[in-house]
Amino acid sequence: MSSVAPAWSALSPALLLGLTGLALLLVDTIRPNERSNTSMAVVSALGALASLSVTVWFVIAGTGHADTGGAITLLEGAVKVDTMSLFFTAIFASVTALVVVAAHDYFHDHQRPAAFYSLTLFAATGMALLAVANSLAIVFVALEMVSLPSYALVAFLKKNRGSVEAGLKYFLIGALSSAVFLFGISLVYAATGSLIFGEVAGQIESLDTLSGVAGIGIVMIVGGVAFKTASVPFHFWAPEAYEGAPAPVSAFLSSASKAAGFVVAFRVFTEAFPLGASLAADINWVLAFGVLAAVTMTLGNFAAAVQEEVKRMLAYSSIGHAGYALIGLAALSAGSAGNEAVMGAAMAHLLVYGFMNTGAFLFVAMAERWGIGRTFEDYAGLARRAPVACTAMAVFMFSLAGLPPFAGFFSKYFLFMGAIENGFLWLAGLGAVNSVVSLYYYSRVVRAMFLDDPATPSALDAIDVRPTALYAAVVFAAVATVLLLPGFGPVIEAAEAAAAALF
Amino acid sequence: MVPPEWYLLLASGVFCIGLFGILTRSDALYFLMSVELMMNAANVNFVAFSLYYGDLTGQVFALFVIALAAAEVAIGIGIILVLYRNFGDIDVTVPTEMRW
Repeated sequence: MSSVAPAWSALSPALLLGLTGLALLLVDTIRPNERSNTSMAVVSALGALASLSVTVWFVIAGTGHADTGGAITLLEGAVKVDTMSLFFTAIFASVTALVVVAAHDYFHDHQRPAAFYSLTLFAATGMALLAVANSLAIVFVALEMVSLPSYALVAFLKKNRGSVEAGLKYFLIGALSSAVFLFGISLVYAATGSLIFGEVAGQIESLDTLSGVAGIGIVMIVGGVAFKTASVPFHFWAPEAYEGAPAPVSAFLSSASKAAGFVVAFRVFTEAFPLGASLAADINWVLAFGVLAAVTMTLGNFAAAVQEEVKRMLAYSSIGHAGYALIGLAALSAGSAGNEAVMGAAMAHLLVYGFMNTGAFLFVAMAERWGIGRTFEDYAGLARRAPVACTAMAVFMFSLAGLPPFAGFFSKYFLFMGAIENGFLWLAGLGAVNSVVSLYYYSRVVRAMFLDDPATPSALDAIDVRPTALYAAVVFAAVATVLLLPGFGPVIEAAEAAAAALF
Repeated sequence: MVPPEWYLLLASGVFCIGLFGILTRSDALYFLMSVELMMNAANVNFVAFSLYYGDLTGQVFALFVIALAAAEVAIGIGIILVLYRNFGDIDVTVPTEMRW
């Protein structure tokens, strides 16, 4: 970044998202009876794209990169813009853009869709803020800034019992886990006397009698992270919330919100509780993450295999993918040179996952828009009526499963190889077994769409509308998933550089 | 000055009461109160150790937490309201449209 720009301009991706959200809220407050779904969707998509372009420009210009003066810190070190924060902000902004475009068609007959767009942008602002947080205080404030709009978004269909129930369950578990997370922060503060990551890290090693207090605090922080990333033991909300929520919201939560949980985890556990110092204080969080990763991916994939509804299957599969991404933290070892490879691979996986999983949920949104039902059987023969969308869905499914010609394969391959090189063969092996299981249920969707016959000849007559914006979002996500195949080299390099800055 | 361990004990006690309330009550409003207790337990820690370390961060953060807790309750009440409209009850065990 050139030296003429003021330091706060490094936060402009987050500021752009927030200002767009505020502008939409203002317009909706001044003219509450104007039902301007299209202009709202266009403005919020432009806001998200502007944020994405600024982020990409920063990445190219090398803002926060070690070559151009290193990370930019603001607010007495409480905020830190570095390559990892830009990497994740790009994920958040892309997913937000896809979701708001798709929501335009999804809410075509909703009475008051305006609130949806501002809530989505506020949640995205919170995520962008989470990516730059360098203090436990900012982490908590930003986490709530993501969670509170998300609760409202899940319960957005006020007259739909499923949506309200999902919102309630998400809120109950979310409020509980944020209270646990906060108490964990308070214990860490009690033990170390600081909330800034660097200062906490400086104290961790020299705790003697207080290391028990800090240890309990760290366990509670792991719990908060597990909620945000939908990992065991706080994963119960995910199938409910994703199934009951409007499908664009499920897409947003399962991709962007999950990545937001991981960016916090990556930064907190490398900068505030560095591995070497934590082990010296007898706080072995790597083992905790190893167990969580193993249980999460196994539970997610095996539960997904027995589902009858596509949306619920995707919800469990997203739990499984949280398990894979947790390998990025679980397969670290103190002082090992392979740490940045495995964490970088987890970041790259989250980027690829952001496109393929958002696309898959948006395809479900399209099916809901058509009104063809939710089970695998209801999707039978769909490819005859909607070949383009079904091809896109097949790309998402194979990429999620990690089949070789798709981007999902490379991110998983780098992740598992990184784990093996760091001496965590068991985690990589378990991940590979789980990927095989996942191929079964992902291919069920493809088989239903392309090979099976519809239950009745008239079953697909509902597909008479062409939701253009939803189509565009799904096709764009598919194109991005395919383009990440040749573009995977730069992505993994950027991710490894971002991870290297953390160690 | 009260030794800091006593504050930790007090905070843990309040936290556990809140947790107990969440696990045993099925009324959504009791749930909100219990969460509030858990957050205030954290506040006790922040304020007490802010004094102990002679550093204002904890006290200021406690103010942030109070504001965030209020925001969370506002969202929670909204969700409980639509829950009541749809299910005619605010018992959190009543809505079972989806299987767990």
